[in-house]
Amino acid sequence: MDRFTLFLRAVLLCVLVPAGTACHRQRDSADDPSRIHVGIVFDIGGKDDRSFNAAAFAGVTCAETGKWPKGDTCGKPALEIVLRDIEPGNPTSIEPAMRAFAERGYDLIIGVGFAQAPIVETVAKDYPRIHFAIVDGVSELPNVASLIFKEHEGSYLVGLVAARTSRTGIIGFLGGMDIGLIHRFEKGYEEGARSVNPNIRVIQNYVGVTDAAWNNPGKGKELALAQIGKGADVIFTAAGNSGLGAFDAVEQAGRVNGRATHFVIGVDSNQNMVKPGFVLTSMVKRVDNAVYAIVQDVVNGKFQAGIHVYGLGQDGVGYSMDQYNKDLMAPETVREAEDAKKKIIAGQITVTDAMAK
Amino acid sequence: MRELFTASLVMSTLRLATPLVLAALGGLFSERAGVINIALEGIMLAGAFTAAAVTYAVGNPWVGLLGGIGAGMLIAAIHALACIRYKADQVVTGTAINILMFGMPGFLSGAFFLSSGSTPQLPKEQLIPYTPMVMAGLLVPLTWYVLYRTPFGLRLRSVGENPAAADAAGVSVPLIRYSGVLVSGVLAGIGGAYLSIGQSSLFTRNMTSGRGFIGLAALIFGKWRPVQTMLACVLFGFTEAVSIQMQGVVKLPSGEDIPVQFIQMVPYLLTIIVLAGFIGRSRPPRALGLPYEKE
Repeated sequence: MDRFTLFLRAVLLCVLVPAGTACHRQRDSADDPSRIHVGIVFDIGGKDDRSFNAAAFAGVTCAETGKWPKGDTCGKPALEIVLRDIEPGNPTSIEPAMRAFAERGYDLIIGVGFAQAPIVETVAKDYPRIHFAIVDGVSELPNVASLIFKEHEGSYLVGLVAARTSRTGIIGFLGGMDIGLIHRFEKGYEEGARSVNPNIRVIQNYVGVTDAAWNNPGKGKELALAQIGKGADVIFTAAGNSGLGAFDAVEQAGRVNGRATHFVIGVDSNQNMVKPGFVLTSMVKRVDNAVYAIVQDVVNGKFQAGIHVYGLGQDGVGYSMDQYNKDLMAPETVREAEDAKKKIIAGQITVTDAMAK
Repeated sequence: MRELFTASLVMSTLRLATPLVLAALGGLFSERAGVINIALEGIMLAGAFTAAAVTYAVGNPWVGLLGGIGAGMLIAAIHALACIRYKADQVVTGTAINILMFGMPGFLSGAFFLSSGSTPQLPKEQLIPYTPMVMAGLLVPLTWYVLYRTPFGLRLRSVGENPAAADAAGVSVPLIRYSGVLVSGVLAGIGGAYLSIGQSSLFTRNMTSGRGFIGLAALIFGKWRPVQTMLACVLFGFTEAVSIQMQGVVKLPSGEDIPVQFIQMVPYLLTIIVLAGFIGRSRPPRALGLPYEKE
């Protein structure tokens, strides 16, 4: 076999490698046709990304069992649904997964992530009697609910906190895939930071331009270390699993007199407990609430298509405070953030939405 | 520009090159013996997952590293058995292993950690960020020595070039080939372990993101020779480190940021330029990919 054919075959086969699909069945709770069947298709990051998909998984698990995935109560009643979830191994297995749910006559099919919007659109057209929901995407079909978050509002608040906490006047932003949705986080963050320190420098980096960018913690860490090298001492991540690399980077930077010298700000889920003492706060995006609400609507027969917006006012986004970070943020900073939150809700501050045309 | 070329760039280059060097040297032992090792990616995934899972279970990264090596050897042994004993097509076997290892960690982590493809995050005390880098550095001269200055190295090269002649001289072709592939499992296993318990602190799905294949490219690039292969890996590491340092620092004359997409092209552009301009013809071992039939 000559060198060229060898290489060609290798390349061809490499392209075929990521062709697996991870499919998980939940507890087999007797397929009772009288109960509402909910199917959820996760994004490439997978449901244990401790971030965006994890929040969606928490929402459906809460709807199914009344508990968080870890087993403690989620404070909401279980909705007596049958739940199935699929984690697509690659983008091409999303549509078949969704069609499989539709073929089996599921009542509600939830697509998680902006990348699934066009797929939900295609499948929903073919199954007009089935309810669909898309997280982070928009569809105008009469059987699709679009769950949209005002990430820029939450990011504004953590930007303010970052700028107030930074001692160097340089802060970092680590995005996953370079897309409009992530620019929305970045823009809000930067605006929030500038609102309290107009001269602050924001270093922004993206892990990549393909969906592999959500699953590369090694590169996430390198980017975070590079930002630290340039003087950034607070880094906001919006990068799925890759963001966990930034957590390692600030931990590596260490502590002085018991206090961390560099901080990371988590995203989507509350990530304060991932590396306690190093996580300033997390920009939580309550995908769990939104997903629970849409399941509840279907169970109660009150499903509404169209755009459901979750901003600061609806408690759809925000920043997390708990026992892990209460000593990290100065009380004045918290007051200032609360104040900005009220002003945003009241409309006195308008945060730029990078995705608005 | 001053912000670009710093000591941190050097360290970043070394960190990024380490898994590539380990994978590529692994590939070298296998391919010099005449067995194509497309499975490097899968072996690295096995090493990465096992190292993180074992470290989490016993709390000791050295045991984790051994686990990663063991997993790498196990996967390599499957590849070796199929290719050497059963004379299967080496590219197909390697690809099958890659597909298997793409899904296996998800399956196992579901059983062990109730997750779907990632392991719990490890504390800083349970990581070994430097040892694999040092190992990678030392392995280059060691590989060179073994390959060119020991009887084993001579036999390894001979079964990769002309197994019939080696056989006639009394060398056991299968034995040498098994050893070569197993060594590649050890090295790629360490490379994978570095990703999960050295560079980062957990295993996530498909976290190698093509590093096994890049290692393989570096091997071809380095003409299947240890020092040149290492240089190729360092070049890949360096270009990636530069692209990481460039992001958000180097601006267009107009003051705007250079688009990320463009910056992320840099490593590949440089690779093409170097490949086309300086490398010249790269000749694989003559018996590469050919199962040996004893006459």
